[in-house]
Parts: sequence; C-alpha cells; structure tokens
Amino acid sequence: MPGMHSGLTDTNQVLVSAFKTALLHQGELALLIFTLLAIGWVASREFLRAGAVGAGMLRSQAGRVQPEPIGRRVLRIGFGVIWIFDGLLQGQPAMPAGMPSQVIAPAASSSPRWVQDVVNWGVTGWSYHPVQAATAAVWIQVGIGVWLVAASRGRWSQSAGLVSVGWGLVVWVFGESFGGIFAPGLTWLFGAPGAVLIYCVAGALIMLPIRYWQTPALGKRLLQGLGLFLVGMAVLQAWPGRGFWQGRTAHRAGTLTSMINSMVSTPQPHFLASWVAGFGHFVAGHGAAVNLFAVLALGLIGAALLSGRRRVLWPTLLCLVALCLADWVLIEDLGFFGGLGTDPNSMLPLILLAIGGYLALTRPLTAAEAPTAAVQAEPAAAAAERPARRLLDALRPVRLTRGFGAASSQLVVAAWAAAVILLGAAPMAVAQANPHADTIIAQAIDGSSASLHFRAPAFTLTDQAGRQVSLASLRGKVVLLTFLDPVCTSDCPVIAQEFRGADQAIGAAGKQVELVAVVANPLYRSTAYTRAFDRQERLTGLPNWLFLTGTLGQLRHVWRDYGIAAQILPAGGMIEHSDVAYVIDQRGYTRTELDFDPGPGTASSQSSFATELTQDAEHLLRSS
Amino acid sequence: MTKRRFALLVGTTAAALALAGCGNRADPGTAGRPRAASQPSLATSVLSQHGTSWAVVEMGGSAARQENFWQLFARPPGSARWLLATPAGVADNGGLVISATGPQTALTGFRPSQDLKFSPLAATANGGRAWSETGPLQPGVANVADGLAAGPAGGLLAVTGTGAETSSDRGATWTTLVSRSALAAGRAGRGCGLTGLTAAAFGSDGAPLLAGSCGRPGTVGIFEQSAGAWQRTGPRLPAALAGSDIAVLALATSGGTTTAVLAAGTGRHASLLVAWLAGRSWTLAPAFPVRGLLPTSASVWPGGAVGLVLPGGRGAVLSPPAKASTRGAWQLLTAALPAHTGTLAESQAGQPEALAASRSVLTVWQLAAAPGQAARWQRLQTVKVAIPYGSSS
Repeated sequence: MPGMHSGLTDTNQVLVSAFKTALLHQGELALLIFTLLAIGWVASREFLRAGAVGAGMLRSQAGRVQPEPIGRRVLRIGFGVIWIFDGLLQGQPAMPAGMPSQVIAPAASSSPRWVQDVVNWGVTGWSYHPVQAATAAVWIQVGIGVWLVAASRGRWSQSAGLVSVGWGLVVWVFGESFGGIFAPGLTWLFGAPGAVLIYCVAGALIMLPIRYWQTPALGKRLLQGLGLFLVGMAVLQAWPGRGFWQGRTAHRAGTLTSMINSMVSTPQPHFLASWVAGFGHFVAGHGAAVNLFAVLALGLIGAALLSGRRRVLWPTLLCLVALCLADWVLIEDLGFFGGLGTDPNSMLPLILLAIGGYLALTRPLTAAEAPTAAVQAEPAAAAAERPARRLLDALRPVRLTRGFGAASSQLVVAAWAAAVILLGAAPMAVAQANPHADTIIAQAIDGSSASLHFRAPAFTLTDQAGRQVSLASLRGKVVLLTFLDPVCTSDCPVIAQEFRGADQAIGAAGKQVELVAVVANPLYRSTAYTRAFDRQERLTGLPNWLFLTGTLGQLRHVWRDYGIAAQILPAGGMIEHSDVAYVIDQRGYTRTELDFDPGPGTASSQSSFATELTQDAEHLLRSS
Repeated sequence: MTKRRFALLVGTTAAALALAGCGNRADPGTAGRPRAASQPSLATSVLSQHGTSWAVVEMGGSAARQENFWQLFARPPGSARWLLATPAGVADNGGLVISATGPQTALTGFRPSQDLKFSPLAATANGGRAWSETGPLQPGVANVADGLAAGPAGGLLAVTGTGAETSSDRGATWTTLVSRSALAAGRAGRGCGLTGLTAAAFGSDGAPLLAGSCGRPGTVGIFEQSAGAWQRTGPRLPAALAGSDIAVLALATSGGTTTAVLAAGTGRHASLLVAWLAGRSWTLAPAFPVRGLLPTSASVWPGGAVGLVLPGGRGAVLSPPAKASTRGAWQLLTAALPAHTGTLAESQAGQPEALAASRSVLTVWQLAAAPGQAARWQRLQTVKVAIPYGSSS
C-alpha cells in the first residue's frame, strides 16, 4: 500500500537467513579445503620420506627455521588476532542490511560531498549484493587474520602483510570514509585517523624484508613517526573553535561530551554504559580540563617518542598504553558495541604498533640470529636460469609434490587462509560484475512471488494517447502488469521506475514485453493525469509502456478481477491501493503474482524489484 | 632540538592546521548579504460576504516525517461554522492553495510533495461538498498562498516554480503566460531585479497581475500585463524605504479592489506595508513596524482588509481606508493569539477569528469584547479531523 512502507530492517529474516546459509555453506567449503590440504600435505610428506631427495629436503627444512624479530612477531600475531576478531564481528546477523545504513552511511555523513560520492560507490556495491558482500567481509578478514598468525616468515608472511594493507585500504576508504579525516570534529580521542589505517601501517611493516628488522633504525623511525602523529593530534585537539574546550555550552553539549553521549546510547553491558556515562558527565562539567589533559598528554608523549631518547621511551610507552586504554574504555566505549560494531576501534592497534616499534628498536635480531647469506641468497646458478624455465620447472608435478610436502604446517595453514580469502572474495567479485541488484532484497521486503497459471481477466481500457487497448491485443507478448495512482506521492513513482529499470535490463527483447499500468485512483483518472505521470517519470519515450484508464465502472471491474483495493482516505491522504504486479505470458495466462510494495525505494531495492521482473519476463521469453 | 626535528614539528603543526581548517569551513549559506524576507506559510483565509469562505491550515504532525496534512475548511454563506472540505484523492503534505472562482465555486491546487512533481487540481461547484479533478498543472504550483488566482471572465492564473501559467477552460489545460526568466529579463523585470514570483491576481479590469521580490532596493515588484507587454506597477514608497528590499507577501483582488501586502527591509528595521489599487491609483497605508517578525500568515479579505499572524502569538488587522483621502488603520490585536493559530479570518459580523490547529483538532476562536473589559478570545467551534497519519511516510 502506498504510504505503508514495510521497509527493510537490519534483522530482516529473509536476509539474515540467507546470510547464515551462505556462511554455513562457505564454512563447509573452507573445512573441505582444509581437509584436502591436510590430506595432501601428509601424503606428500610420506612421499618425500620414501625418497632420498625428499628426505633430504625435509631435513633441510627442519634445519632452516629462522628466528623472527620479536617486534615483527608482536605485530603479525597481534594484528592477525584483531583481523580474526573483526571477521567474527562481520558475522553479526544484521550486517547484510545494516552495514550500509548503520555503519558506512553515518560515517560518511559529515564528510565532504566528494568523500560521500566515493563511499557511495561502496555502499551501492554492498547494498546491491548484501549477502555476498557480508560473507566476503567475514571470510576475507578471518582469512587475513589466520594467514598473518600462521605465516611467520618468508614470502608467505610478507604476502599476508600485503593482503592486509590492500584490504585495509578498502575498508578504510569505503567502510570508514577515509577514517573521517576530512570530516569536522576529527580527533584522536575518537579514533582518528581510522583504526584500519593502523592495520595498514602494520601490514606494510610485515611486508618489509627481514633485513629491515636487523637494526634498531626501523623501530626508531616507527616510534618517531608515531610521535609526530601524536604531536599533530595534540595541536588539532588544542585548536580553538572546534568545541573540544567546552564540556557544555549554554545551548548544547560540547563536541566531546556529545560524542561520548552518543556512545552511551548504544546497546552495551550496563556497567560499561555507566562508566562511559559517568565520564561523559565529568567531561560536561570539566571540558576544558579534560581537553587540556588530552592535549598535554598527546603532546608530551609525542614529543618524547619524537626525541628518540631510549631512557624516556619505556615510561613513555607505559603512559601511551595507559592513555590508550583509558580512551578505549571511557571514550571509544570498546568500539565494537552498538549492534553493528565492526572492530575494536583504534586504541588496541595503536598500542600494538607502539609496542612493535619499541621492540624493533630495543630488540632487533642479533647477528647470531640473523639469517645467513647462504640461506637468504638464491644459488647463483638457479638465479641465472631463465625465469620462464624456472617456472616450468617448479610446476612439474614431482617438484610441486616435493615442495608441498617440504612445506611447514604453518605454511599449509597460511595457504588454507589464502584459499578462505578467495572463497569469500570470489562470489563477491562475481556479484559485483552484475550491475543489477539481487532479487533477495525484493524478497526480503515483500516475500517470494507466487507462481500461478490461470487466464488473465480480460479488459479493454484507454491508453495515455486515447487509444483503446485490450489485453487480448497484447497476446504474443509478455505483459508486466501493475496498478498505479497517477497522483501518488511515494510508491507509484518508485514502481514506475522499477518497471523502467526492468525494460532497460531486458534490452532488445523488450519488443516482446509490454509494460502495462492501470490507474488505481477513482478520483484522478483522466488521460491528462496519466500523461502527466508519464512526463514526470520520463516514460513518454518508452514505446512499450501503456498507462491505461477508463470510466470508473471500467476501472472498478478491472480492480475487482485482479483483486486490487483502491480506498479513498479523508483529510489529505493519498489513495490507498494494493501494490502488486502480475506477469502474464504470451498466451494470456497469469504466471506470477508479485507483492510489489517497493519498501524504502532505495536504488538497491528498486534495482532488485526490476531484476525480479526481468527474470520472470526472460524466463517466459526463453520458454516460448 | 635539531633542525630536522624542528622542521618535523613545523610540518606537523601545518598539517594539523590544514586539518583544522577542513573541519571548520564556514557555511557558505550563511555568508553574504541578508536573505530577503521569507514568505508567509500557505495558511490563509479567503473570505466572501455572500458566498463560501475558505481557510487553509496545516494539521497533523511533523512535516519532515510527512505526517503533516493541509486541510481546507469552508464556511457556507450565512453560517458561522467551518466545515472540513479538503478534496480527497491526493496526499496534500506539500500544501494546498485555494482560489475562489465564484460564490460557490473554487479551485484547489495540491503542492508537489515527495515524488509528485506536478500539481493535481480539484474544482468544486457546491461550496466544497464535492470536488472533481481538473488540470493538472505542470510544473507544480509555487509555495505561496496566492499562487492561484481567478479572474472575472473565468480566466485562471497560477504561479509555478518556473513562471506563471494561465487557463481559460476552468483549469483543464494550462499554457505558459510568462516564464520567470523572461519576466526578469524584460524591461519591467530588470527595473526591479526580479528574484522570484510570490503571488498572482487579476486586476479589477481583468488584466493579469504578478508579484514578486525585487533585488533592487526600494522597488515594488508588481507587474501588470497590458497590451501584451509587462509593466511594473505598484505604490510609490516613502523615501525612507528607498534602500530597503521590498517583497510582495500577498496580492489579491476582491470587490474591485486589489490589495498588496509588502515587506520592506529585513531584521530590526523590517516593516509591513499594505497598498490598495482602485481604478488606476494606489493608496498606501502607514508602515507597520514589525521588528523582524514577518507574518506567518497573510490573508486579504473582502474590501481590502488584511489579517496577519505574527510570530510570538501576535496578530494584526488592517482596515482599508474609509475614504480615498485616508490611509487605512492598523489594529494590533491586544489579546495574544490562541496557541497554534494558523491564520486569521473574519466572522460574518466582522469580528476577527483565529483558526488554531493542533494535531487533529481545529479550534475556531473569536475575538470578543464585553463592555468595560479587554478583548479576549472565545472558543467558537472545534473540528476533529481524522488525520491519515502514516499514509504518506
């Protein structure tokens, strides 16, 4: 019914159920891949042990284990665990429908127009294919996390860092709207410059060859960079006119107070809400003091890190950890509550990064631990070989089997993690190649269509040009039939656009499809109004579009035959009529009835309904 | 601190300043010269001494949530009671515009709202008891109370978003009378610096009149079509208003008199003026200082009286001049208007009435003064309206 939008809630059962089913199926596939890999690996090792060359390779592998710098290990395992945690958060049932509207759009809302345009591209991709997008996010993030944790050295480990950087940038741009760095109110206290950007920095460090970790220089530069960033954030925090110096003004809460209040209002454990609310109350009363503390703390910690003096680094690190933890609990509210939290926000990653930097500075690999040149360098003879030949040689089944069998268990798990990422990404990539939204959105709004098979009731009405048109005269074509009010303010224009979208999707075969609407307003039904509606909806150029009307008696007859209710509401209400569409085959039989309440009328829902019509029409065209 | 570190700190500070600048851009909408006077709402009353009187008020809930519904009330001739007469069949969240086309006949235009981009029209021949479709008007009628006007020879005028349309078949079909850009580019429009159209009327001689806001200070934007060309007309303003922006808030013709309500200046120096055109000469009432409180409703009544609803619960009525030599008299209503007053009307006995709408109830109040007592508002009638909440959201 127009004006009675059912909408699309985050917990829509159709979407949630489809999401769970997809996760389950992909989970089963992931398990199967793991099992096959494990069996293959064990079998390969047995094959190796049987031969002298293979046994030598196994012994060589056992003796070639190289230590990993402690700072790198902290980053790799720490961020791996965080990625896994983020992936599990992506598995929340409300993600398919809620991610664009509850997470991405609000994050972008205060950013400049160009940021919103960029982010909107991602929103469209997600909202057109919500189930594939949500499952992809789960598997990609879990896969990256497992890969990071499992692969401790070599190219596999560096590749994990590279994938972490790549996916992190995608999330940072589309999910976090560039971490909000272009939005007013940017503050370190609330996670600037975006948690995932810190993941990217960590990923980039993991990508670095081990030789960079053999001297304290990497740790020193990392800590200095961190110090520079914190000093910048201190200046930004101190900048007047941004509302951080006021806990409360005469008319409204200060910037920080209102940010904290917004966190308090999200669903979370009571004790946590009371802590955050208490701190918010404190900030409201002592805004200037809290901001002064934040500015001084950030500035001093930043300056100490920037100085690079070793004797101040340890206490500085402790202060930073304490500040981050306090911020994480009292301001960021742990970050992952609120129904659709996607990560634990920026403070834990920042702590990890700082610790990693400190360990890289103070505990680099010693000369004894460092890999020898013999191990690192490739044999000169092998290097001199042509790359193509080397590749062909490496792809020989025997070499593959030996290489696989000689791999460590950690590498096998890393390979499985890479497969899990592909498992999640592939369906999303395929879905993204389709410019039309999935029908599941329409089904989530209105339920599934009903298959029918009865002769469509006949009618003869007048089209927008004043010509008489009968249903019988359309025999031989697929008829997509609906009922529209030409002066409707909400649903009918949306439905008209869905029909228009279907016509575009059908393409050249549209000559065999007639789009027919019958007036559903007993009071405004003249051809002047059907023509006005056509102009409004840019339908005048569609040769296969018919907007039919007639006398009130004729229309009532058609409404009754097709089960359409058209009720006049008093006092300025629009006509309440059924939103329904019928698909009539070339022989004049009604084959499908679609509940056609367009719901929220978003681009994705419109496209989804259009896809539903298109699929039904194409099915009939193919079977004729 | 080494030079390198100093440079780093300077760089950091510069970056932070740039970021701070990003977050503290001035809102361009609030910059520049003050905005011209805002138009009154669509709430208005169209009164008739011998025919049906009409009143438009907004009822229901939040307009932002499409829970507001504009209602049309009709008062039959000889009756003191208002009856709900909103035409059915169209959601009217965008507003209603009414024009009396005869004693018992009227034309109503629905303002576009949500996805509806044109104006459905409805006509009545029996004082609002039944309505039939006519039109439509494409593009939609403008968001001004005097956006529709009826002429003595059955002609109709409509102000739209792009100019003015005219109809000679009771609203069934419309043709463009003049586009806003064409009027602004013409000699008359250039002389005023026309920025927008705000009202339409027919003069007592049947000539189309259009009114608007002028960008050139001290200029009244009333245009008359004569011999196929548009000419500027309007009262001569006092020299003190030569530097003020002038906007026409209302323009209507009744009983052979065309009445224009003008806003002069903005902010604390804003004042209201009323001018009457009888024959070829304009009469100007004394300026009424409103100190920035521009009316939320302006109604022109028979004979040229004007009823204004001002912010802060204040109301004013201007009586037309008794003789051509006099200038009319402002009467600031001493009793505060009843809460939620949408528009003022006049009873059959000539007493001011306040039509106050609160959610689904319209209350009609009449200003009455007992001998020796201050005037006060007395409740005359309440009308409960079945607001179709949720039907447009």
